[in-house]
Amino acid sequence: MTSPEATETERPSGVARTLVITAAVLAVLLLGAAIGLLVKLPGSTTSAAPASGSVDVGFCQDMSVHHLQGIQMANIARDRTTDPDVRQLAFDIASTQLEQVGRMKGWLMMWNEHEQSPNGVYMSWMNDAGIHGHGATTAEPGKPLMPGMATTDELTKLRGLSGRDLEVYFLQLMIRHHTGGAPMAEFAAHRAGQPFVRTLADNMLKSQTSELDVMKDLLAKRGAAPLP
Amino acid sequence: MVSGKKTKATRSSVAAARSSVVASKPKPWGTIIAVIAVLGLAGGVFGYAYSQIHANNVKEAALAKWKPSDTNKDPSTQLAGIVIKEYKGSRHVEPTQRVAYDQTPAFGGPHDSQWADCTGVVYDKAVRTENMVHGLEHGAVWIAYNPDQVKDDALNKLKAKAEGQQYTMLSPFPGLDKPISLQSWGHQLKVDNADDERIDQFISSLRRNPNTYPEVGASCENSQFLANPAPFVAEKPGADAVPMDGGKDESKTEGQQPNMSTPPPSGSASTPPSS
Repeated sequence: MTSPEATETERPSGVARTLVITAAVLAVLLLGAAIGLLVKLPGSTTSAAPASGSVDVGFCQDMSVHHLQGIQMANIARDRTTDPDVRQLAFDIASTQLEQVGRMKGWLMMWNEHEQSPNGVYMSWMNDAGIHGHGATTAEPGKPLMPGMATTDELTKLRGLSGRDLEVYFLQLMIRHHTGGAPMAEFAAHRAGQPFVRTLADNMLKSQTSELDVMKDLLAKRGAAPLP
Repeated sequence: MVSGKKTKATRSSVAAARSSVVASKPKPWGTIIAVIAVLGLAGGVFGYAYSQIHANNVKEAALAKWKPSDTNKDPSTQLAGIVIKEYKGSRHVEPTQRVAYDQTPAFGGPHDSQWADCTGVVYDKAVRTENMVHGLEHGAVWIAYNPDQVKDDALNKLKAKAEGQQYTMLSPFPGLDKPISLQSWGHQLKVDNADDERIDQFISSLRRNPNTYPEVGASCENSQFLANPAPFVAEKPGADAVPMDGGKDESKTEGQQPNMSTPPPSGSASTPPSS
């Protein structure tokens, strides 16, 4: 009994060896295929149009929606304020963001993508696999669509204000708006596939950071503090 | 018979004996289990990845069907029950004027110079159609509902599709012949309930679809209107209403054929259109 066992360990049959090797190769191939399916290298989509759900598409769609509300608030402030500083700031924000929205929508059109999320789900692109976004938000009546965005009630309140109250509330809402949008811009500045999308996102991040300082300053001059 | 059986039995026992001699090894269970486990794991990982990607692709394909593109300019043509009419972007009317629209609710034709704000607005009260139509010209989708038939849960579902969603507006429409009617410029779809999947398909196909609305790039913002929306008018428009072709009074036609604004030679003003 002992001798055949010993022989066996010394020289395993060819069939068994082939089986083990085949299995190992198969396992490696399967794992490789799985990794290939799941992993998207950053920058791997530079030549072709980015896919739906990609960082490029998601950022352009969602940042357009985010920007459009910023423009809305700036236009309200510009229509209603008498303060030259606030009016100038509002014009700057509205015109810059509108121009940026135009760029993003132009790209989306070239890529044959919607201008905005067609199903009310936002920020689902802010993760790595692009499948379940941990940062994803779904539209709910009465709630802001994305971080930093104002609710319908807050916009209505802004429309009803004038004078110092208007300026303070506008600055508070806009500070929160800029701050809330920053993580999106930051994510896209690093993860977008198209270099021009990364450039725009990076630019937003920088210009809005300096705009935030200006707004905090204007707010402090009016003896008010940012929203909690 | 008996001998045959014996022979068989003998043979098989010989074979068994032989194999136990030649290859007599206890099965390498450890190796077998390890191989199966590794294969199983690899297969599992692959299966998971594949199913995720597959589910995603199926979702994408389903969405792409309703996504406007170079090759699918107006996906709404695939919608059961869609009504499509061609309207030109056009003439503006005064706040006091009515338009003799050819559809209810209207989805194209002359309209008020003030567009109804369509920045994702839920209008609680019914709004004047002449303003809503101008919102459609700017690429918006207007979800109209019969306030007697759509309430509570169903209404909340519609609100979720409209509130804060750019280029979307929701308003009650008294006397609507179906519970819900969706309008975009030149397109209409009436459905019976808020769960109908065609609502999302209509929105996906037509909201700001650059192939289907006249004023690409136009804004939905109109805070002046939002502060004081023009109310719905229930009465049918009278004989003085502006007809769908904008009427013969060319002087009121905005931006079209400016040469025509000079008074026509006497006699021709009342000439009926040649047919």
